[in-house]
Amino acid sequence: MRRTGTVTRLGIYLYLLYKVPAWKRKLLRQPEHTDEELRPLHDRAANAILAAATSMRGVMIKMCQAMATRADVFPPEFVERLKECHDSVPPKPWPVVKAALERELGQPIDAVFSEFSETPIASASLAQVHIARLKSGREVAVKVQYPDIEDIFRTDLRNMERGVRAYEWFDPQPLPLLPLIKELTEHVGYEIDFRREARSGARVREMFAKNPRIWIPEVLEEHSTGRILVMEKVSGIKITEKAQLLEHGIDPEDVVQDLMSVYVQMILGAGFFQADPHPGNLMVTPDGRLIVLDFGLSKELPEGFGMGLFELMFSMMTFNEASMMRAFKELGFASKTGDDGTFLLIARRMISRSDSGAFEGEFTEEMTDELFDAIREDPVVDVPSDFVLVGRVFSFLSGIAHTLGGRANVLQAMGAGGSRG
Amino acid sequence: MSVATESAPDRLTFTPQELLESGSYEEPLIAGGVRCHGGFDSTGAYRSPRMVHRGPAIDAWKSQLARDGHGLIEISKALMPPQYPNVDQAKLLLRNGVRDPIVRALTIISIVEGFGAVIRDVKVPDLGEWVVESVEGTALAHLDKGLFEAHARDESGYREEGGHKQMWEAARDTALENPKIPGDVLMRMMGGGGGGQRGKAERPFPQLDPTLERMLTMMARVCIVEVFAEGTFDWGERVLSDGEVSAAPDAAGGMVRNIRADENPHVEYLRTGLSEMRARTIRTVDGKTIAGETVIDGLLHGMLHEMTRSRPRDQREDLRESLGEAMKVASNPKALLEEFDALESVWTPPETTGFEPSTEAA
Repeated sequence: MRRTGTVTRLGIYLYLLYKVPAWKRKLLRQPEHTDEELRPLHDRAANAILAAATSMRGVMIKMCQAMATRADVFPPEFVERLKECHDSVPPKPWPVVKAALERELGQPIDAVFSEFSETPIASASLAQVHIARLKSGREVAVKVQYPDIEDIFRTDLRNMERGVRAYEWFDPQPLPLLPLIKELTEHVGYEIDFRREARSGARVREMFAKNPRIWIPEVLEEHSTGRILVMEKVSGIKITEKAQLLEHGIDPEDVVQDLMSVYVQMILGAGFFQADPHPGNLMVTPDGRLIVLDFGLSKELPEGFGMGLFELMFSMMTFNEASMMRAFKELGFASKTGDDGTFLLIARRMISRSDSGAFEGEFTEEMTDELFDAIREDPVVDVPSDFVLVGRVFSFLSGIAHTLGGRANVLQAMGAGGSRG
Repeated sequence: MSVATESAPDRLTFTPQELLESGSYEEPLIAGGVRCHGGFDSTGAYRSPRMVHRGPAIDAWKSQLARDGHGLIEISKALMPPQYPNVDQAKLLLRNGVRDPIVRALTIISIVEGFGAVIRDVKVPDLGEWVVESVEGTALAHLDKGLFEAHARDESGYREEGGHKQMWEAARDTALENPKIPGDVLMRMMGGGGGGQRGKAERPFPQLDPTLERMLTMMARVCIVEVFAEGTFDWGERVLSDGEVSAAPDAAGGMVRNIRADENPHVEYLRTGLSEMRARTIRTVDGKTIAGETVIDGLLHGMLHEMTRSRPRDQREDLRESLGEAMKVASNPKALLEEFDALESVWTPPETTGFEPSTEAA
């Protein structure tokens, strides 16, 4: 009840924050607010959202993380303020964390660790991370799940579902929001199971074992549980800190290309991927290696999905609308009327995006958005949920590339670099 | 109707639209239900796409080069590494129900063909600025004015037409009856998680304008790959047109023959352009000049030397990595492996490439 009340109050506050000044201007027949005039309002709104999210945690933090990566949608004040949710959520007090740790370990902390830093190095939506030293002398990072997080998420999701059902009851033509809640519930289930995360991380670590530029930290399974992960300690520069990368002589273009290659290989090549590439989960070592963290939200794609997606992206980048239409079908897109014209229109719209006559291997943020816009605007198309998740990942990646001012050549990441032409 | 001889023989300048013009066909080429480029004339002969003016144009530029007293570069067939597995090994695998390695190889060929489309993104610098002699009326002057685009469209298809990528897929699917594509194909294409090379390789000719150097490097590499692809086409045609292992020997073999015919203009325009540059003098960024011959021969020699060694080794290693697993479907995997190995042909790359550098910068 308390959480529902907080969200309701926040909603009313944000509504009035923007509407009251607008109404005033309308009454006084003054022009609408300029972008510059709206900036203080955006600041106040972002602060209010952040305050609500950090007090509520759970799903609110997840939403803020997503908002902070969408510089193309939200004002800069939101992006700047809400990016704290990536890794700087106020941590839980040490006694709470210590109790949770000992409960999970089934023994006192000093029975396993010779040192344990009480101050976390990062804290986000589900857990916080501490540096520690094992009895063996090995330095490790320990990710500890907030003790009450499972209940908080379940409550939030239940409230959201109730809200959506009420909305569907009132609205004669409601947006299909329930499937989204279902998907979010599924993802939360993945993320709170740290044993699953350990297995997922090990799988991706194995995938890139031969790549010296990618570093996936090892999970020490013998010390980990369903709510604690003990991992090899890694340190690096946050991927979006361009100035620091440059200070270390790292070319942001290389970082962007490595990032794109890793994701293209996971999604298209292996059909298994870390689906949460927000900047808090990506770092770069001072010698330029890309670190990928947090495999809580990892996803297995259906067999053949990677190839279908490859065909879709490749056909889009090579202006082949017939192949693009086939790829839509292979991926499970369905036209309710059975009319292929829908896909043809989407294909033509995507292909005609390029005024220069060349995509130059770049599957841009704009292309991802254009595709979703095209799909959204045509209500007869069913979109596979895996495609939505992959689209979100590419959107995150594009956002990071945008922040770093780099371009990711997807064709090169796919293996086209000089293979034939 | 023949569609390839409509330009006046001595014409040397063409518009992009002309170089992309296909004309009409009596019958379109439909491969695996997909409308592809090219088509058939009234005699039933296959006609490649975009050849109404492109074919005569390439012939005219070659003639002009000869009239100016320059030869065409020739990459020796002896340098062409053999395909692994060879034709006999491939047929042996298919006869024994071991399809994955061949399906994987054919799928990778189709994807690599499609990747050829990246040539449309190659930047062409202002050649008037960097080449001492005029390039007017040459293949070089038409690279970004139709030639690269035609090449890209041939490889990956364009708009409603399929290209070589789709044609190879059709050959595979008709011959092997829509086989299941091994799930690791794309991962292998992408280097198997190994990372490959990072962008900035050492520049062979740092004194050149970087855009010009990148363009020439790409042309040289693609030219070599296209010449070597002849071996791949021969392999594909011989395997897929064998009725013992192919469900549609005529259709599948014929499809590979069509692709082979389409590839000829690629080799020809690339070697013509490279030969034109070889016959000229290139300005360097520090205001000096260098003989085109030094640059072109240097690029070709370096790439040929490396590719004749790495390619057979990489292909072999790649196949052997999963061969044991793939052979498990055979009734006697051990005996099959022995038979497979007995069919292996030994190939040693020639000592010389024919492009050994001899001239220093002028």
